[in-house]
Amino acid sequence: MKPLILALALLCWVQTAQAHPHVFIDTGLEVIFDTQHRAAGVRITWSYDDLTSLQIITDKGLDPDFDGNLTPEETTQLNGFDMRWEAGYPGDTYASMAGQPLPLSGPSNWTVAYKDAKILSTHYRSFAQPIELTQPFLVQVYDPTLYVSYALKLGTTLTNAPDCTARTVLPDLDAARVKLDAAIAALPQDAEAGYPELGADFAEAMEVTCPPPS
Amino acid sequence: MPPTVLIRPIFSAKLKRTLLSLGALLALILLALWLSGGLLMLERWVVEAQLAIQNELAAGVRAIKQGRPGALATLLAVCFSYGVLHAAGPGHGKVLIGGYGMGRRVAFWSLASISLAASLAQSLVAVALVYAGVALLGWTRDAAQNVAQDVMAPIGTLAIAAVGIWLATRGLRKIWQQAAVPAPQPHDHGHDHHDHPHHDADCGCGHPHGPSLAEVERATSWKDRAALIIGVALRPCSGALFLLILTWQLGIALAGIAGAFAMGLGTSVITVAVAGMAVWAREGALANLPFHRVAQVLPWVEVLAGSLITLIALTLLTQTL
Repeated sequence: MKPLILALALLCWVQTAQAHPHVFIDTGLEVIFDTQHRAAGVRITWSYDDLTSLQIITDKGLDPDFDGNLTPEETTQLNGFDMRWEAGYPGDTYASMAGQPLPLSGPSNWTVAYKDAKILSTHYRSFAQPIELTQPFLVQVYDPTLYVSYALKLGTTLTNAPDCTARTVLPDLDAARVKLDAAIAALPQDAEAGYPELGADFAEAMEVTCPPPS
Repeated sequence: MPPTVLIRPIFSAKLKRTLLSLGALLALILLALWLSGGLLMLERWVVEAQLAIQNELAAGVRAIKQGRPGALATLLAVCFSYGVLHAAGPGHGKVLIGGYGMGRRVAFWSLASISLAASLAQSLVAVALVYAGVALLGWTRDAAQNVAQDVMAPIGTLAIAAVGIWLATRGLRKIWQQAAVPAPQPHDHGHDHHDHPHHDADCGCGHPHGPSLAEVERATSWKDRAALIIGVALRPCSGALFLLILTWQLGIALAGIAGAFAMGLGTSVITVAVAGMAVWAREGALANLPFHRVAQVLPWVEVLAGSLITLIALTLLTQTL
């Protein structure tokens, strides 16, 4: 009995080692509605942790005087550093309504600022068609591989939607962990099998509810 | 005869056995907590703490660049905490050191010195990787991380698997030798002195009596040490790599190297504790066995620990390849 417990515990121990973020991004979400009360798109704000910010600034050779501020020219140079997405990269922001995924466009209208030792970038992503919110609408922020940890610490806002309400939904981390462990245990033991991408289960999300049209 | 002389040996033997049993019990409770998800709280705390300490690390590097007094000491303190914190999370080094400590009857100080050496070697590997790869060969940060992950880590994992296979085969050989002798020597020996239950308990505390036990307790060979240290060292942590590359870029290389070793020292706090826990738990389990059973059980423990380490190493390997 004891060896069995030991075996299981050791296996769990090693396998949880994977779920371990190195980049932390405080995130803000703003869902923007059109004049017909339909969701047109989302503005996403990312605030990078100090170490990641310092690495990016140093890699680019910016802020040589180390005062934690950039000149306007340097800011222009930095702008868009995180917006050159590879084809197929979903951008770590996922919208859905009643479980149906709603594809978002690539980023546009991006901005950047470097303040208090943190890089703050924003970008806008639109829906192919404006969405009428007939059912609860969800925007999740996560990296499927859990290398980047997104937290909705910068708040959620609604623009042009006076009747709708937004709230932050926190994940059931215990359930997510159980699911992840089970998925890892079920992995076929061959080199082709990747790490299960269950970042969504660990994701914080913004839920928007609108009253039915009268 | 003064009472103390009479009482002390009995008392200390009993106390020793109780204390040892406590170790095995504590290890079991920790494992049970782990399995039931009780350590999830700890895991969450570690992730939050990682963010906080990552920000401290950046602040420390900036303070050095700005020439603030006491900045280096602050950075080293942050690095040390980073090492402790990182090691408190799940990791290969603890599995290896812990598994080896459970499987082999290695003395605590021996295992602790291996743990310390392995942690510092891990820092050394990170320094070597960054300065050979990034500084000399011009690799990017991603390239250095990929080398660490895709080339060095699998080699380290193979070293871990080798330790496991080694342990298991050694145990199997002993079991085979015991089976080859019709009447096991420790059992014969037991008829002379050790049949008395009370005496059995006394002798179970790890006194090197019979030849096979003495053999099991023999000092760890240099090959074991080398394999253990390589297994741990060849998986440099990305925190150390990040710090080393950053400080090299910023022209404060020595501060970064000192920081990397401070991280190693921090890591060793936890691995040494794991070594102690493993030895404590193992001796606790053995203390509850009659003396003549110890020599019979030990090889099986060795086989089990060896198989487990091998299994974990192979699981790691299939994940990284």
